[in-house]
Amino acid sequence: MQFRPIISAMRRNKVGAVLIAVQMAITLAILCNALFLIEQRVAWSQRPTGTDEANVVVIQNQWVGSPPDLAARLQGDLAALRSLPGVQDATSSNTYPLSGGGSTTGLSLKPDQKNATALASIYFGDEHAIAAFGLKLIAGRNFNSDEVVNKMGYTDLNPPAGIIVTRTLAEKLFPNGSAVGQSVYEESIKGQIPIVGVVDRMQVPWVGAGGWGSKFSESSLFMPFHFLSSYPTYYLVRSQPGQAAAVMQAAQKKLFDISRARVIGKALTLAAARTEAYKDDKGLVVILAVVCASLLAVTSFGIVGLTSYWVAQRRRQIGIRRALGATRNAIIQYFQTENLLIAGAGAVLGIAMAVSLNLWMVNIFAMQRLNTGYALIGAIVVLVLGQIAVLWPALRAASVPPALATRAA
Amino acid sequence: MFNYYFGLAVRSLRRNIVLTVLMIAAVGVGIGASMTTLTVFRAMDNDPIPQKSRQLFAVQIDNWGPDTKSIVAGDKERFQQQLSYIDAVGLMNAKAAHSQTAMYRTGAALTPANPSLLPFQVQIRAAYTDFFPMFQTPFLLGGPWSADDDKNHADVAVITQKLNDKVFGGGNSIGKTINLDNHEYRIVGILGRWDPTPQFYDLNNDAFGEGAAVYLPFTRAIDGQMPSWGNNNCNGDIGQPGWEGRLRSECVWIQFWAELPTAADAENYRTFLNNYATEQQHLGRFHWPAHTRIRDVREWLVYQHVVSDEYRILVLVSFSFLLVCLLNAMGLMLAKIMGRAGDIGVRRALGASRRAIFGQCLIEAGVVGLAGGLLGLALTALGLMGLRSLLSEEVSRLTHFSPADITIAIVLAVVATTLAGLYPTWRAAQVQPAWQLKAQ
Amino acid sequence: MLKMTHLSKAYRTEVVETYALRDFSIHVREGEFVAVTGPSGSGKTTFLTIAGLLEEFSGGEYQLDGANVRGLNDNQRSRLRNEKIGFIFQAFNLIADLNVQDNIDVPLRYRGFNAAERRRRIQEALGRVGLSARSRHYPAELSGGQQQRVAIARALAGSPRLLLADEPTGNLDTQMARGVLDLLEELHRDGATIVMVTHDPELAVRAQREVHIVDGQVVDLAAQPRLVAAANANT
Repeated sequence: MQFRPIISAMRRNKVGAVLIAVQMAITLAILCNALFLIEQRVAWSQRPTGTDEANVVVIQNQWVGSPPDLAARLQGDLAALRSLPGVQDATSSNTYPLSGGGSTTGLSLKPDQKNATALASIYFGDEHAIAAFGLKLIAGRNFNSDEVVNKMGYTDLNPPAGIIVTRTLAEKLFPNGSAVGQSVYEESIKGQIPIVGVVDRMQVPWVGAGGWGSKFSESSLFMPFHFLSSYPTYYLVRSQPGQAAAVMQAAQKKLFDISRARVIGKALTLAAARTEAYKDDKGLVVILAVVCASLLAVTSFGIVGLTSYWVAQRRRQIGIRRALGATRNAIIQYFQTENLLIAGAGAVLGIAMAVSLNLWMVNIFAMQRLNTGYALIGAIVVLVLGQIAVLWPALRAASVPPALATRAA
Repeated sequence: MFNYYFGLAVRSLRRNIVLTVLMIAAVGVGIGASMTTLTVFRAMDNDPIPQKSRQLFAVQIDNWGPDTKSIVAGDKERFQQQLSYIDAVGLMNAKAAHSQTAMYRTGAALTPANPSLLPFQVQIRAAYTDFFPMFQTPFLLGGPWSADDDKNHADVAVITQKLNDKVFGGGNSIGKTINLDNHEYRIVGILGRWDPTPQFYDLNNDAFGEGAAVYLPFTRAIDGQMPSWGNNNCNGDIGQPGWEGRLRSECVWIQFWAELPTAADAENYRTFLNNYATEQQHLGRFHWPAHTRIRDVREWLVYQHVVSDEYRILVLVSFSFLLVCLLNAMGLMLAKIMGRAGDIGVRRALGASRRAIFGQCLIEAGVVGLAGGLLGLALTALGLMGLRSLLSEEVSRLTHFSPADITIAIVLAVVATTLAGLYPTWRAAQVQPAWQLKAQ
Repeated sequence: MLKMTHLSKAYRTEVVETYALRDFSIHVREGEFVAVTGPSGSGKTTFLTIAGLLEEFSGGEYQLDGANVRGLNDNQRSRLRNEKIGFIFQAFNLIADLNVQDNIDVPLRYRGFNAAERRRRIQEALGRVGLSARSRHYPAELSGGQQQRVAIARALAGSPRLLLADEPTGNLDTQMARGVLDLLEELHRDGATIVMVTHDPELAVRAQREVHIVDGQVVDLAAQPRLVAAANANT
């Protein structure tokens, strides 16, 4: 295929060619940044919490007023929940993964350290917590029942007998050896706190990409507390596989049977909590995908429209070419090569725009650097799109009869 | 002449229906996408109290100093957005502003009088009486509690109409009581719909969420040891255990707003705050020079980063999309106009000036823009519907079309399309009247 | 009415300068019917485009209806074209999107007449060419001869001082050509000034006077006895 005659023909349709190239460039720039963002968000929203999400039921419980016998009521509720059919185990905590709210502390290795060694989210739980969340203990031991004490609201500052940390937190605190048996200092509690166990994973309660907790999303710790408070607290009930729905029903009924002087704010599985927590992320992904699809559609219709016009404009010229011996394929190839040249220019410009758009967004927004692979994928998509879009007008051009040349314009 | 051009435009658009549909679709899709995101963005970026946004100020006092431990990094601009109880009370007692209120978010279980109904959770805002006039809350019945009620830590409450409907089945409930965590509060006022978006007065907690259902005197909530249900930040040392310990601690959890009607008032208040902090330094509580700030509502919204990066990116993406759509429409217009060069040549020969041709084609572009804008409006409605099903309830609250949005959509469509039509139109005006003759 | 003196028109490309008209002088008086003839490439069409103010000229003088048109801007030329000149093209140049009355309406709109005046003039022009019944037809629905009559009606509607016709019968068969020519003669009898460009000598003899162009210059045949030519044509 010869380029020179195509290029000289394009020079006569300069603006049209430039318009298509610029359109394709912007399409490419948006496309690869959007794909990149989509990929990141999907990966972010699929991170595991470390819990048995499908079978863990969360029940928010709030007592009316502050009954004096809170500790006994809590014990009673937990015993009743554990004895329900289909229940593996149950515990109570201040929060749960995917909830979006919780408490953070800084852990230090020395008592008067100026900056904390690691930030971690705090979960309260008894000796049933690991089983009730469905976590995997990978080192050390679980809490003993005699270590579990009552915590009267957040302003109660009694020190815990020990803590269980996540693997990530353990490695952050003690990169060179086992964390079990070591001690750390916490911001508000006086004295050393020994680490008694390590669980494989337990995500912090916050889920926003780039939001609070995103920098230490795998650093959590358990304190052996029963949380007694006028705040809403949470029962975590782990059902036998597949029985979450039945357990959720039965558990609420049981709790109201025990006492009606409470509010059950919400009841849902952690799997449902995940859907809710990442709803906006998923929404963003869908919106970006729809915009990308519309973008590709609009660009290709634009190519179809302008190329069709060029074909119409050159009908006589095409007829003459056909009369002079050009095959149908040669005509199709002509328009395909023309589009390839335009799209190629657009792709080069587009990659440059994509990279600079990304760099700009890295500066303005907390966005990551674009993987160059995405720019290349985008370029290929745009080139292929151009070839597909040009096919219809090219076929119309190929169907111009050679006899057209013999007629007057 | 406008009517003539308009008629010609419609006729010409009907003549080449495929190109016309493509152009209108391109503009419509672009407008639809950009208006969908812009509507949400505008709701987020909204001035929630336009008549007073330059007179209401959020107050910041740095009670942790430059050596804050972990929660807030050492950025001089980014310091505590809430106050400790000590400072909140200090500022309330000083009464240095025209009106002022300390406040925080809390909650309780409300037990309905009807024993067959289960207790339910209510969001509570603990505030001072100035809260209501400062933020221009609309009262349906009754009014704010009195300054004496603040002073006496009175068991009084203002509730929303929605809660009144739920608990009492509507009607005049002034003087009735509600039971919150086994404590009775006498209702003194019922608020009508009041839904500033974003909820500027407490952005730490659900900037786009639903507000409180019950308002209680701050002093009463503190007496009741009602804990903050919002953001609590402690700089390492939580202080002494227990409620009293929390009140004496440097933990921050209270929002503080001052109404300062004039620039001079604001300046005076800045001085007052500085003096207050300096005094705290002299008392030995602060070990650093005064570091305080007041920001009005608009500044506060920007400072608190109310519009998340995601939505800024989305707006950026959708407007780039609009640009692509306009380039597209521009290419098609060019094709269309060049295809009509013959007619234009004849018109020129018959006495149409360049200006006349220019006007005719530009109006045609405007008509395309108008049609595209109307299509765009329909697509925006569809897009917002889609967003409502896709996004969380909090954001879904922002997907409502205002009359201003409709105007913006139409004006944007017409102006943008006309701009895109400038080049093709200019080309049309360049068509020589002689051309057609030459071609014979 | 139309007076060109020592007029020249050059077309420049990067390499050469070709003169389409050189030292071209012509004078058409009010009420005349002049045929401009010449072989193809002689400069007939160039003369017409300049006479019709469609193009500018390089040198010399051109007076239209007593006014010098040299150096007028686009707006002024458009205005003059609209008010003083009626065009009759070989290919009719009707606007396909517009029906008969809207085609005739085009120059009247640019003239700025009010609706009543435009309606009156359209009716009158259509009546003149005998197409009153076809006012709502589109060009594609008319025969070639009818189309050309619409074009003539459009040219007449603005009461121009000068009618310029470019091979007005070139695209028509003999029957229709005769009808159009009869119409032109009738217009002439009613006082119109007509300049008709043609390469057809048979057509040219129907004019009062024939101006012959060769290589961009006028060879005036006015001195030759027209009667003889006319007699020949009639036989």
